[in-house]
Amino acid sequence: MTKVLVTGMGIISAIGNNVAENRSSLQKGQTGIGRGELLDSRYVEVFPFGEVSTSTAALMESAGLAGEKGMTRTDILATVAMQEALEMADLTAAQISSSETAFISASTVGGMSMTNELYRDGNKIGEPSDYLSSYICGAHTLKLAKRYNMSGVSTTFNTACSSSANSIMFGAKLIKSGRAKRAIVGGSDGLAKFTVNGFNALRILSPKPCTPFDRDRSGLTLGEGAAFLILESEELVGDKPVYGEVTGYGNSNDAFHPSSISDDAIGIVASISQALKTANLDPSQIDYINAHGTGTENNDISEVVGIQKVFGGLPPFQSTKPYTGHTLAAAGSVEAVFCLLAMQHRELYPSLNFTNPIEGHNAIPIPQYQSDCDIKHVLSNSFGFGGNCSSLILSKV
Amino acid sequence: MYIIDLSCISAQETYTGAIFEEGVKLHTERQYWAVEPKYKGMVPLNLLRRMSKSVRMGVGTGIPLIDRYKDIEGIIIGSANGSIKKSISFLNQIVEYNEGTLTPTDFVQSTSNSIAGTLALMGKITGYNNTHVNNGIAFESAILDALLLFEEGEYNRLLLGGVEEISQANYNVDVLRGMFKEEEVDSTQLLHADSPGTVSGEGAALFVVDAEKSDASIAKIVDVAQICHADKEAIIEKAKQFLARNHKQVDDIDALFLGLNGDNRTDYYYNHLQETLFPHQGVYVYKNLVADYYTVSSFAVWMAANLFQGKTMPPETIWKEVPDTINTVLIYNHYEGTQHGFILMERP
Repeated sequence: MTKVLVTGMGIISAIGNNVAENRSSLQKGQTGIGRGELLDSRYVEVFPFGEVSTSTAALMESAGLAGEKGMTRTDILATVAMQEALEMADLTAAQISSSETAFISASTVGGMSMTNELYRDGNKIGEPSDYLSSYICGAHTLKLAKRYNMSGVSTTFNTACSSSANSIMFGAKLIKSGRAKRAIVGGSDGLAKFTVNGFNALRILSPKPCTPFDRDRSGLTLGEGAAFLILESEELVGDKPVYGEVTGYGNSNDAFHPSSISDDAIGIVASISQALKTANLDPSQIDYINAHGTGTENNDISEVVGIQKVFGGLPPFQSTKPYTGHTLAAAGSVEAVFCLLAMQHRELYPSLNFTNPIEGHNAIPIPQYQSDCDIKHVLSNSFGFGGNCSSLILSKV
Repeated sequence: MYIIDLSCISAQETYTGAIFEEGVKLHTERQYWAVEPKYKGMVPLNLLRRMSKSVRMGVGTGIPLIDRYKDIEGIIIGSANGSIKKSISFLNQIVEYNEGTLTPTDFVQSTSNSIAGTLALMGKITGYNNTHVNNGIAFESAILDALLLFEEGEYNRLLLGGVEEISQANYNVDVLRGMFKEEEVDSTQLLHADSPGTVSGEGAALFVVDAEKSDASIAKIVDVAQICHADKEAIIEKAKQFLARNHKQVDDIDALFLGLNGDNRTDYYYNHLQETLFPHQGVYVYKNLVADYYTVSSFAVWMAANLFQGKTMPPETIWKEVPDTINTVLIYNHYEGTQHGFILMERP
């Protein structure tokens, strides 16, 4: 079966508008979480956010789309990240539009980030807005497919916070099955009043920047962003630079509760174990875990328990959400980019906002920046409401 | 991939199967509401009250199937809009209460994966679980997902389906973008209306599918294909490629299931494909029964599976005379002329 290689990546998050800026922030231990300046919500007074500091209009300008009608925050974030990934992989227009190139994206909020516009359109108040075809989750995928004249297999996932991990998995599976030769895979979510109020109603937003795996953690910090990877079947790659290989993936359901994970981490253990099995790796071969690590009471303890069940001990691990906030559907692909950067540059990044380990578990995330690390295989976890658990393994080529 | 059992809630009496004995239900509105069963006994009432309509319909079709087949290993659902009514109601509250204190129930169900998640939770199914939301090809993508999973050899039995609900707000948004007919047309005239727009529908069709053929097999889903932003000639090409990929000649197809919806701006795709490539095949239609929605091709699959099970198709579904024996059907559906899906099915 063919290998699935990563030949390009693109990202926009609170710690940078491209791959280089993101890496630089990670190296310096510099967070992107702060006061939400662009978000239209009264909760900017109460909670910090991982906001992309550039306005939608400015992002559209820099992406060459100034004045385009009906662009939502989710749309423009996706466009920016995808442009970078396509350039890095040096794909031609013909390659992008080939029927052998799949396009798999993900979003949870989609165009519902346009809260006020949807409110007026949905309730037939005033003139119709420019966003009538932009609200639905899959809208950004369809728009990008049109922009790049794509004709291959395309889908959009919404499995809440594990969505774009499923995009990466599905793209890899399509290539392995021979149904595609290439796949553009990732996800996008803009910060939105809708999600801010949703997570606030669940009372799991932290009043201070999130502190994953800390004994005194107080909830998650919402972020926004998008990231895409270009996956190619190994025989197409030739002399191109390769940033890693998608070797393993697992998907399971915890089947425990609509919005929290079981204490014995059934779904987490299953998705990690399945990923290891697909990659044909032993737990001892994993050199780094980019955890889901949201900073909620429930997630972090369950994830530590799940990882310990599979690994016995704990490999070097951390959550990078104190950098970006929780980017929801984009989290899986954002964190896959961080994993690939760590592997490519043989480095591990400092964990932010950690003071005391969870009682009874000696689970201490990577303390400081380390260089010259021999990182061959990395695991990335993403879990969502509805019990959805996904794990990916990326390997050095 | 083989269908061994199925359940469907739609704007017709499909849940009980009475549609095949009592005939089709006439619709005169622009929204064809689903005929829901009594859920009592399937779900505790306090849970039922909190469920969105799409979760409820997913549970109403899925839980009896899960009860019958204890060895279902995973769940794959296509649902473009998910619990859209709950999402919009939550959004309305945000605006109307100026981001006041809200209850989280609606928010938790707002993502489309709440259907597959609830089924997993109620059925304790901890295997593969995924939700496709890619608008008009969300169900086709779910089929592809299941085919890949079976090809990999790790799974033997899955629950697969398409679910969609109507919400007033989304209906309003779609009215604003010209999706629906302005005049009143009843379901007997819908496909002959020769005017812009269609009518809005909802429903759930769930299938228990196996990797291997057995005595229990009702219908085979051979393969699925999709394309976006294509013109009518590209659709012909795509159909040819799809048949060739599956080693089929045009003459191997006995009947088409076409998604004609009475919208004179986009029905030409169906007519062109039928006239150009399949002039000798019989044709079934179905949107005059259940209207149009993102995952409506799941209803076409339900119809085709019933056909293979020996059910007599209602006369309203026969658009062009069909042969006595039908062994292979091609389902072609598009959404707004933008996203196009093909599903190839066979008698097992």
